[in-house]
Amino acid sequence: MSPDSRSKRFFQLRHPVGRRQRFLSAIGIWVVFFAIWVFATSTGMVNELLVPAPQKVFATTYQLFIERGFTGDVLISIGRVLGAFAMACAVAVPLGVLMGSFPAVEAIFAPFVSAWRYLPAPSFIPILLMWFGTGEAPKLALLFIGVIFFLITLIMDHTKNVREELVETALTLGAGRSTVVMKVVFPAVLPDIVVAMRQMLAMAWTYLVIAEIVASTTGIGAMMMRARRFLKTDEILSGIIVIGALGLLFDLAFAALHRWMFPYLRKKR
Amino acid sequence: MDRDSILEIRNVSKTFDLGGGRELLAVQDITFNVERNSICVLLGPSGCGKSTVLRMMAGLETPSAGEVVIGGHAVDGPGRDRGMVFQAYTSFDWLSVRRNVEFGMKINGVPAGERRERAAHFINLVGLGKFADAYPSQLSGGMRQRVAIARTLANDPEVLLMDEPFGALDAETRWLMQELMIDVAEKTSTTMVIVTHDLEEAIFLADKIIFLSSHPGRLKEEIIPAFKGGRRIADKERVVKLDGYGELEARLMRLMREEGRHAE
Ligand SMILES: Nc1ncnc2c1ncn2[C@@H]1O[C@H](COP(=O)(O)OP(=O)(O)OP(=O)(O)O)[C@@H](O)[C@H]1O
Ligand SMILES: [Mg+2]
Repeated sequence: MSPDSRSKRFFQLRHPVGRRQRFLSAIGIWVVFFAIWVFATSTGMVNELLVPAPQKVFATTYQLFIERGFTGDVLISIGRVLGAFAMACAVAVPLGVLMGSFPAVEAIFAPFVSAWRYLPAPSFIPILLMWFGTGEAPKLALLFIGVIFFLITLIMDHTKNVREELVETALTLGAGRSTVVMKVVFPAVLPDIVVAMRQMLAMAWTYLVIAEIVASTTGIGAMMMRARRFLKTDEILSGIIVIGALGLLFDLAFAALHRWMFPYLRKKR
Repeated sequence: MDRDSILEIRNVSKTFDLGGGRELLAVQDITFNVERNSICVLLGPSGCGKSTVLRMMAGLETPSAGEVVIGGHAVDGPGRDRGMVFQAYTSFDWLSVRRNVEFGMKINGVPAGERRERAAHFINLVGLGKFADAYPSQLSGGMRQRVAIARTLANDPEVLLMDEPFGALDAETRWLMQELMIDVAEKTSTTMVIVTHDLEEAIFLADKIIFLSSHPGRLKEEIIPAFKGGRRIADKERVVKLDGYGELEARLMRLMREEGRHAE
């Protein structure tokens, strides 16, 4: 077999695929998905009331934004995610770095933090509602609780993985403890911290939807619950699509942030 | 050599606690001096405690007995007077070459102007002038090691401690780096302590070789490569061709082999 004909094989064993093939494959799977959806709804195989056609869902999404002020709900949801997430990071980043740098700090906080990780955040919803009522506070608190303990643990582990030689190099250059932590350990672990944030932000979205579905009159989740009462499945599906799109957008934004903040991680070529 | 000593290792022993009540005597009762402006090489078979001795000089490890004295004071923790270059890459990836080299000076409060000047000087000295603004990830292994050396030298240590600094490099780069170290020693008159288990490297670089025996590490012999006539010769080929080179190499080989056997 000539190398030429081999390279034309579509299913090549453990061989990386090119840009074009990857793009076409990605489009392909979605085309199949929507084709089945359109087919099922147009032939009446499924109840139109429960499964609206995709074109209807997209039309509804457009309407929601243009005519029904859905933008407000979306912005409220984004605000909740970013607000709670920023608060979680403000605590988790310094604490995680300190726990990873000083075993004494880890000895204090690790037993506490790891216990909380085994408590599912939604189990706090009833008590949070009793404490904070139905305002913004219980939602922010749920997101905060849901994210922070994992974030602390991830950041601590990444900090511990900063190579000992870097720390010792700084010490033999005359750095004190705080200089080592701030000028060597922190910048060394920062790219990993941003990756950890990216992962945890996805989790924050999950808790946001839970909070808004359970107890809220505003936000994307609340809109979906309202739609349920009036049997508007198209609006519910719109909500799902918007949440997915936002999650994807934030993920891409974090990836871009990572590239922009850490140009040195890119190899030449 | 009639120079005064800058570092004194006095009856130093090191026992590691392996946990579970087990202990390991890694280094036992070692005494030697490192003369000012000299290149001292620690040589010995793998596991004999070379790194441990060097780390005690750096203050990264505390002797279980005895003391390390620098300039009349007992070493107590790491300090900028004893710069260290590790075998593993230690470049700060988030800083350009220039900022890597300036790092030590910056944390020690050297004014910006002087910092830039000294950094440029040492970057040129190690032959990285063209790469001052590159990031370490854009450099080869040998170049990164040169960054580490420049960074340590620019911080103006009294002693430069190096633990198999060229161990990870290919033969040719290694050779160039060895010649560079002779050049640096001549130009900066920095005292150097270099750990290696490469005989050729030891003979080429050393004003004095401290040979350690293994398990536990003890001082086996202090060897002065007299055949170099007290000079430093920056051309490795010339050193290899000198009378007496082969003889010393054979002697060190014999020592290595004896110690290697003991270890088994
Ligand atoms: N932190 C440590 N804890 C326990 N044992 C250690 C520690 N560091 C070194 N040792 C032990 O001390 C002995 C000497 O180790 P050292 O690293 O100093 O040897 P070395 O001469 O540098 O060897 P190599 O040439 O392989 O680098 C070894 O038996 C090693 O296992
Ligand atoms: Mg070693």
